[in-house]
Amino acid sequence: MTKIFNRKVGREGEEIAAKFLLDKGYKILERNYYTRFGEIDLVVSKNGVLTFIEVKLKHGDDFGTPEEMIGGFKLSQVQRMAEFYLMDKPKMAEIYKTYLIDAVCVVTSEDGEVERINHYENLTF
Amino acid sequence: MLTKVLSAAHFGLEATPIEVEVNVFKKGFPGFSIIGLPNKSIEEAKERVKTALINSGIEFPNLKIIVNLAPADIPKEGSLYDLPIAIGILSSMELVEPPEEKSFFYGELSLDGGLRHTKGVFLLALAAKSLGIKNLFVPKDSANEAAVIGGINVYPVSSLSELIGFLNGISEIKKLDHIVHRSLSTDYEAVEFDFSEIIGQESAKRAMTIAAAGGHNIFMQGPPGAGKTMLARATAGILPPLNEEESLEVTKIYSLTGNIPPGEGLITQRPFRTAHHTTSRIGLIGGGSDPHPGEISLSHNGVLFLDEFPEFPRSTLEALRQPLEDGKVSIIRIAGSVTFPASFMLIAASNPCPCGYLGDPKKECKCTPRMIMKYQAKLSGPLMDRIDLHINVPAVDIDKLIDTPRQLGSQTSRQIREQVIKARETQNKKFKGLKIYTNANMKNKHIAKFCDIDKGSLLLLKQAVNTYNLSARTYFRLIKVSQTICDLAGENRILPNHVAEALQYRIRTND
Repeated sequence: MTKIFNRKVGREGEEIAAKFLLDKGYKILERNYYTRFGEIDLVVSKNGVLTFIEVKLKHGDDFGTPEEMIGGFKLSQVQRMAEFYLMDKPKMAEIYKTYLIDAVCVVTSEDGEVERINHYENLTF
Repeated sequence: MLTKVLSAAHFGLEATPIEVEVNVFKKGFPGFSIIGLPNKSIEEAKERVKTALINSGIEFPNLKIIVNLAPADIPKEGSLYDLPIAIGILSSMELVEPPEEKSFFYGELSLDGGLRHTKGVFLLALAAKSLGIKNLFVPKDSANEAAVIGGINVYPVSSLSELIGFLNGISEIKKLDHIVHRSLSTDYEAVEFDFSEIIGQESAKRAMTIAAAGGHNIFMQGPPGAGKTMLARATAGILPPLNEEESLEVTKIYSLTGNIPPGEGLITQRPFRTAHHTTSRIGLIGGGSDPHPGEISLSHNGVLFLDEFPEFPRSTLEALRQPLEDGKVSIIRIAGSVTFPASFMLIAASNPCPCGYLGDPKKECKCTPRMIMKYQAKLSGPLMDRIDLHINVPAVDIDKLIDTPRQLGSQTSRQIREQVIKARETQNKKFKGLKIYTNANMKNKHIAKFCDIDKGSLLLLKQAVNTYNLSARTYFRLIKVSQTICDLAGENRILPNHVAEALQYRIRTND
């Protein structure tokens, strides 16, 4: 049950984050880029900068904050996937010379109402 | 906002001030990182500080926090940075107002927000005094160590919330009064064995008294069961109390190793330490990549008892040579060099051979000559040369053991201790201000200055040196022992009978 549930929560978070970023003026290039090595939740761009987004969603705060779930290991995973993405799509690599890694953390209430949404820019800096 | 809180790091017996810089960012990805060469115990401070703050009723900020321990090139260890980090975070969040005067914050936090006994507070107080730092915020259990040093404000802190209240001017923490060193306490503390319980062995007891009075090293040899271990353990009961300077020196080492129990201040009882023969060289001498004092430093100004002396690895025994001569030990590692004081009185006990009955009048020795040679070769010449008193502890006659009524034994430890204290007082008076405390500590220049030897004694010494081929070191050591015997007798001048007695402890049977 949990595996399917997790994926559902992930989808839900991506929806919320994508809407949020669109409002902020980002262009969504890719949603849930998936390979057998891992995945990237969102690939977006704004002002000519390619940005890979890791989305975390939590229902309620019983199990801590979404920020706590993004540690050094998760960051290196996203970074590795970003490199893979650019290898996979050489055209993208030609357009965008550099890239950033961001995180969007969403906390909702038990019934799915968004309580807060935070966008952290440039995590690896 | 950036805030700076002062704390300290230890290296050897010195404490260096460390600035704990804390920045709580208003933006950025939340996280908590500590930089400035922290080791694992400081890495774990994150979890302790976080939980302690939450349990003190403060919401831990979901913000980016960076802690820097400056200067950043000194490796740091220990749990003592918990309190300065917590105070740094709080003042960076503008929840407390750090004091305007320079203050040291020091201590380990418990998860419930209380402060735990932390080692090294005595050294911290010494550093505070020399650096002119006024206030000290330390755990309540360790605060007595700091109160021994006068001229600084010592605040005993029992919990984080208490300190927050104090810094914000809401509640009060009472400063500790300066604790003055109790003058030579003559109250007797009973130990495991009393000298009156040891039947016979009068000459060994006399030698022990001399050793204790002058801080001389002593070597006992005898068959198993003769009472060597008992004699050594009983010696703990005749040691004089520490004088003020000695006590400060011992407390420094004990504070560094965390050997001071919670709530205690100065160490006033003379150390008596025993080391088993499986003790490693580092454990005995001191060392490690971050140099720590070993048993010889922990028995500084006291007694180190090494039972079954030849069973120690040779390398361990030979490493004792330099500290036995210099009264200190220098440990040199990549991280730097540290000198620990190690002026101790060595009591060593051994059997004459592996089976233990060599030279026994009743029981036959079963060892081959080769075994005996191998056993005795462990006790190298240079090492034995540094031991002033050599005694034989023969087996006690069974008739004597049964017939002698307990009470009629001999002098009690309490009586012997009084003699020892008297002799030590004479020495303390003589060596005032010289940083030496016993006759055994004397260097050759001190011997020339303090030992008054009459003509007959000098002649006797000369004859002994010629007859027995004694080394120059032995010659000076003989004078030191004679001086102690002279002090015990309450005389001002070394007389031939003092030298004669000293010689009797010098000549080893198998030399």
